[in-house]
Amino acid sequence: MDASFWLLQFLNAMQYSMLLFLLSIGLTVIFGLMHFVNLAHASLYMLGAYFGISVSALTGQFWLAFILSPIIVTLIGAILYFTLIDRMRAAGPMNQVLVTFGLIFVILDLVRLGWGDIALGLDAPDALAHTVSFWGISYPAYRLFIIALGLTIMISMWVVLARTQIGAMIRASVENADMAASLGIHVGRLFFVVFCFGCALAGLAGVAAAPIFSATTTMGITILIPTLIVVVIGGLGSLEGAIAGSLIIGFLETFGAVLLPSLSAVLTYILLAVILVLRPQGLIPARG
Amino acid sequence: MFYQSRLRSITLILALGFLAAYASFGSYFAREIVIEITILAILAISLDFCAGFGGMVSLCHGAIMGISAYAFTIMSVKLGLPSVPSAMIGLMAAVVFSGLVGWVTARTSGIFFIMATLAFGQMAYTFFFKSRWLGGDDGMGGIDRFDLSWLGVDMNDALVFALFGIAVLLLVYVIAAILLRSGFGRILSGIHSNENRMQAVGINTANHKAIAMAASGLMAGIAGILAAQHTLYISPELLIWTVSGEVLLVVILGGIGTLIGPVVGAIMLVMLKHELSNYTDYWHMIVGMVLIFAVLAGGRGIFGQIEYWLITRHPPKAPHLPPAKEKDLA
Amino acid sequence: MLEVKHLSKDYGGITVIRDLSFTVNAGERRVILGPNGAGKTTLFHLLTGVEKASSGSITFAGNNISKMNAVERARVGIARSYQKNNLFEHLTIRENLMLAAAAATGKSRWFFRDVTNQADMKTRIEETAEQVALTDQLDMMVSAVSYGNRRQLEVGLALATRPALLLMDEPTSGVGPAMIDTFHQLLETLPRDITILIIEHDMDLAFSIADHITVLNFGEKVFEGTPEDTRGNPSVRQIYLGNGDETYGASNDHA
Repeated sequence: MDASFWLLQFLNAMQYSMLLFLLSIGLTVIFGLMHFVNLAHASLYMLGAYFGISVSALTGQFWLAFILSPIIVTLIGAILYFTLIDRMRAAGPMNQVLVTFGLIFVILDLVRLGWGDIALGLDAPDALAHTVSFWGISYPAYRLFIIALGLTIMISMWVVLARTQIGAMIRASVENADMAASLGIHVGRLFFVVFCFGCALAGLAGVAAAPIFSATTTMGITILIPTLIVVVIGGLGSLEGAIAGSLIIGFLETFGAVLLPSLSAVLTYILLAVILVLRPQGLIPARG
Repeated sequence: MFYQSRLRSITLILALGFLAAYASFGSYFAREIVIEITILAILAISLDFCAGFGGMVSLCHGAIMGISAYAFTIMSVKLGLPSVPSAMIGLMAAVVFSGLVGWVTARTSGIFFIMATLAFGQMAYTFFFKSRWLGGDDGMGGIDRFDLSWLGVDMNDALVFALFGIAVLLLVYVIAAILLRSGFGRILSGIHSNENRMQAVGINTANHKAIAMAASGLMAGIAGILAAQHTLYISPELLIWTVSGEVLLVVILGGIGTLIGPVVGAIMLVMLKHELSNYTDYWHMIVGMVLIFAVLAGGRGIFGQIEYWLITRHPPKAPHLPPAKEKDLA
Repeated sequence: MLEVKHLSKDYGGITVIRDLSFTVNAGERRVILGPNGAGKTTLFHLLTGVEKASSGSITFAGNNISKMNAVERARVGIARSYQKNNLFEHLTIRENLMLAAAAATGKSRWFFRDVTNQADMKTRIEETAEQVALTDQLDMMVSAVSYGNRRQLEVGLALATRPALLLMDEPTSGVGPAMIDTFHQLLETLPRDITILIIEHDMDLAFSIADHITVLNFGEKVFEGTPEDTRGNPSVRQIYLGNGDETYGASNDHA
């Protein structure tokens, strides 16, 4: 195990962490703002991958798919918002879990109806289809792109939340929605915007992941559990928590698999159990 | 708070009678369906016990069932113990696991409880999935059913096994009903209603909830033994979290907090699944839509809604309507 | 019966109870008076063990209970009613009383025996219902009875545990004059084997039932004496009665 091995594992862990981040950030902010647990969030990720593949197949343009697919997913999210999500907001966590669990089933079969049961691949764009060699390793350029994309979104979200007006509004509403409403923030509209943004990021994560993992009907359910774990470990509703959580889980799973293969599978669950018992509010809880 | 009303007794007799008739006069396939229903119904009663009466919405009941099935199979197949003591050890494993989960999660509530049980369930699933000694994702076979030849019956006969399943379902229902009517069960309902006040009158609610999870685990464990003896083969699939989700669906569909509702829900879901799969490969979608509709319609479930109609029309002396919306979970 | 010595409680530098000492005799009716924020409800939290004191000791029936948690203190016979209703909302009044009675008689470990039809439970439920004047409403859902009835049940839940020491946090909070009379009667008919500490804002009620009155201000005891002495004490008039209006009336003190 030389330096290049560690570098390779580091990049793999980063790339997995970034995907987890794109998914968990939407889930956690939606929870923090609306106290809504959306298990179907990962189904939107799956839809992102499938729509990306279709747009790319129809137009031959990867980058067009990269932009259009999150938009389509956002539209679907908006429809869900007005038909189900909004009216389930006050219904308590159990009913939300049930309804979105039902949605997982519905979306799963719709995808099977539309695209069939076979795994579908997506080629990385020509510009990124090569490998890059540096410091004694060669690594696919597309995966480096994913890492860069994730970091860019992570930093820009942090800047938006910490420095801008809308960021201040979101933080105020996470802390106390009633207070925010009394200060003249249109909380309902803010919820909708944030929900759509979360859906767009899930769609983006899906289309970004398609060239690496290819799209399958189980991809949503497979990523759902690690995403939920990230959100709970980090602290429901917290941006910093989602960043910390996705890095912890990404690295724990990647390095666990190479260093402690016999234990790796349960490491994440042990971590989650320990955190739920000792620090149920998560590592970096949202204030309020 | 639980009452074995006349309506509930009649529904229980009708449900068990229907299952017995369906198994007796139906084909081999019908008997298999009946077994499947009894296993799911037992698991759903077990979940209703802790979720409907104790407010503990567990997403690890599939795992509890699976642990019992695995412990039973390890004892009987790997270590060659007779099937009855193996089953006892299987039940003990389920009780210990669910009691531990209950004890660790007793101070969490709402979404944190759901997440914590999800994590413990997935932990158990991953453990069996990765375990080479236990066959990994292939699972294990070579299981024998209980030997009831001293009664002059052959358990390998599908009809006998189906009737055995119905008897076990009745037994589990009676156990749950007795527990819920006891001082223990009343106080569990009180904790569900107002945990803080229950502490103020001198109840260690954390311990009480852990014991309730263990009792629920015993019932889920019984479902696990039945499941292992039904297919004569077990795999980690039993423990995966979507199994627990499906059980929760059954409880909601039938009527949470009614005890008999989950039995009705199990019959409906399995029948629906088998009917639908004759026509379409996409029955998941219909099940999902039914679930969404059941929650949007008020969350009382089929039996719960009927009971609600009957009670609001003819209010008895002591009304005991299940609450329309969940409480104390947020 | 109850002996509080040098009790203090602070929350991150803010002292809510300061060096408080007092003794309550068995069977006594002790009224705790004090303006909003005087630390009255905090005192109840400390006595019931919901919160731990920063320093000082609490002795109950000869035993030091300072280290006991809330559940253990409930078991040795300390019961409490709340200023804000804290009931089993979706159950009937009978079921509410049954839960408190079952808990106090150790029936939470009856795994197979039904408790609802036990003779001793029935007697206790009916006796308690009579004490708090709810006999006619026994089979009604809590959510269906009046606010006044809920205040009565609030006391009933504490009484159903057959406590030796009963802490009542503003039983008449938010009720009308007729209901205050009901509570007056209720308090007078309670047997003297129950020792009662009561936070009460209705002056007529407080002065007529109290054996002794303890007055708190800013977490400190400023006066203790009989109702007559309290009425005549100038410093009490100053801090609490202020304008000389003795019918201060019910307020929403969350101290």
